[in-house]
Amino acid sequence: MKWNWIFTLIVAVALVSCKKDKNTDENPTTGSVQIKLHHLWDTDSLLLDSLYVHPVTSDTLSFTTFKYYVSNIRFKKTDGTWYSVPESYHLIDLGNGSTNSLTISNVPTGNYSEISMLFGVDSTRNVSGAQSGALSTIHGMFWSWNTGYIMLKAEGLSPNSTSGSYAFHLGGFQGPNSVLKTKNFVLSTIANSSVTGSNLSKIGIQINASNMWNSSPNLATVSDLQMAGAAANTMATDFVSGWTISYVNN
Amino acid sequence: MRFVLVLPLILLIVSCSKNKVEPLKKWGFNYDENFPDPTYNFQNNQLTYERFLLGKALFYDEYLSIDSTVSCATCHEQPHSFGGHSSQFSIGVNNQIGTRNSPPIFNLAWSPTFMWDGGINHLEVIPIAPITNPVEMNETMSNVVQKLQNSARYRKLFKNAYGSEEVTDEKLLKALTQFLAMIISDQSKYDKVKRGEASFTATEQSGYDLFVQKCSQCHTEPLFTDYSYRNNGLDQTFTDLGRGLITGNSSDNGKFKVPSLRNVELTYPYMHDGRFFTLSQVLDHYQTGIQQSSTLDPLLQSGIALTSSEKQQLIAFLKTLTDYELLGNKWLMEPHN
Repeated sequence: MKWNWIFTLIVAVALVSCKKDKNTDENPTTGSVQIKLHHLWDTDSLLLDSLYVHPVTSDTLSFTTFKYYVSNIRFKKTDGTWYSVPESYHLIDLGNGSTNSLTISNVPTGNYSEISMLFGVDSTRNVSGAQSGALSTIHGMFWSWNTGYIMLKAEGLSPNSTSGSYAFHLGGFQGPNSVLKTKNFVLSTIANSSVTGSNLSKIGIQINASNMWNSSPNLATVSDLQMAGAAANTMATDFVSGWTISYVNN
Repeated sequence: MRFVLVLPLILLIVSCSKNKVEPLKKWGFNYDENFPDPTYNFQNNQLTYERFLLGKALFYDEYLSIDSTVSCATCHEQPHSFGGHSSQFSIGVNNQIGTRNSPPIFNLAWSPTFMWDGGINHLEVIPIAPITNPVEMNETMSNVVQKLQNSARYRKLFKNAYGSEEVTDEKLLKALTQFLAMIISDQSKYDKVKRGEASFTATEQSGYDLFVQKCSQCHTEPLFTDYSYRNNGLDQTFTDLGRGLITGNSSDNGKFKVPSLRNVELTYPYMHDGRFFTLSQVLDHYQTGIQQSSTLDPLLQSGIALTSSEKQQLIAFLKTLTDYELLGNKWLMEPHN
């Protein structure tokens, strides 16, 4: 009887230790972060085919297309070191809701105080020939006559435009009028992003599209812009100025 | 006795087979030893015969255009060293007329940029421009990918080339690139003279000496272009800004890429807008037709002085740049399905 007890105990201990050995997630080295992009028009949600009025130009407009690239996402640890996500290219398409949510896996565990991302596709990938995934040309985000990605495409209707419609294709990856903009978000003012392996750390970012026209001409003046230059650079700068961190949920 | 009969028979067979298999260039990315290193390497686009064949099928297929009327070869014909066929401007779907002359597309692997204005920065993305241009093929890349995916013939060609029937724009562009990069012109009489396999006539030699003296600063050997952008004095005011359209810089207005002079005998009409139909007209332009403007090339400020006999010598030399082997290269000919 006594031996039975001892035997049971040994078996129980063995089982527990076995379980511990099998469960390698006990000390995970990586986890996932979800970056959620919330698109706004001023204080309203931004949706395709809805009417908006611009707070500065007073133009009335609706969007039929709103797409842009985000790339080179990086995370800054509280110890000051950075983790750069490899092959980090995302095409955000308002017409495809699932693209608003960027799930980044294989992020090393730890606490992150800052994230950084690039508006547009970095210059290297604009001179690298044929590519796949988000950088495939089937998305219609590529200038064929003057090679380079269209970093942002906003098209739609407006009674203020003489043609009744508008098209803004922002691009240009080199020189003083490059539209590429790096944006850093300090998370620690809200909370560090804690990547543990068992949770999904969620970071919310608000993208206020109305900022694009904050210092650009109204649609009666310019309703079609499809080349690199100072005008595109101004719109890109203003667009990225409308990106703000809204929450960190661990 | 028997031996004596057999020996000449063997000799006959050997010489016959030798004559039959004329050693035109072997398939592969082979080029003249006098050429510099190419700017395109196949590092991210492994060269295989099956991918080349897919690229060739695509190059000759009108299916790439919106109404199946225009292929790459429509404006880039092998008998014209893959240049336009005598028309001033390129002609696309619904007989729409472009604004520039179709350039010949040999030796692309050595070019740092593409098109008359250099707007394209990589060999692999060239085909997107004609495919999507409304006055050329007027298609979208996504629709072309879809059309090919729906084609049993192309599913098979993609499977042969990439091991999977899945069609993507990246595969399509890289396969086309393999075909384009293989259009190499390095077998002209000029090349053979340089290799010691032939010699110029006295007139050609005089023409070559004149060429070195008066033309080679821009049309640099052995590719016969320095790939720079220059205003060669065609107009005082510009209807086509050329390089200026790409850079947005007014100091580039009216400049176009220096074209290679290889096969120049076949690539008429000349200039970005095909305004001259003969080599003689071109030389007349450089002699007496230079138009002054703020971006005119410094080398052409006072034109190029040539006597009429010098012109004939120069033209005789230019004709030694015709590469008949390229025109007859079976690897590059339209496939017959």
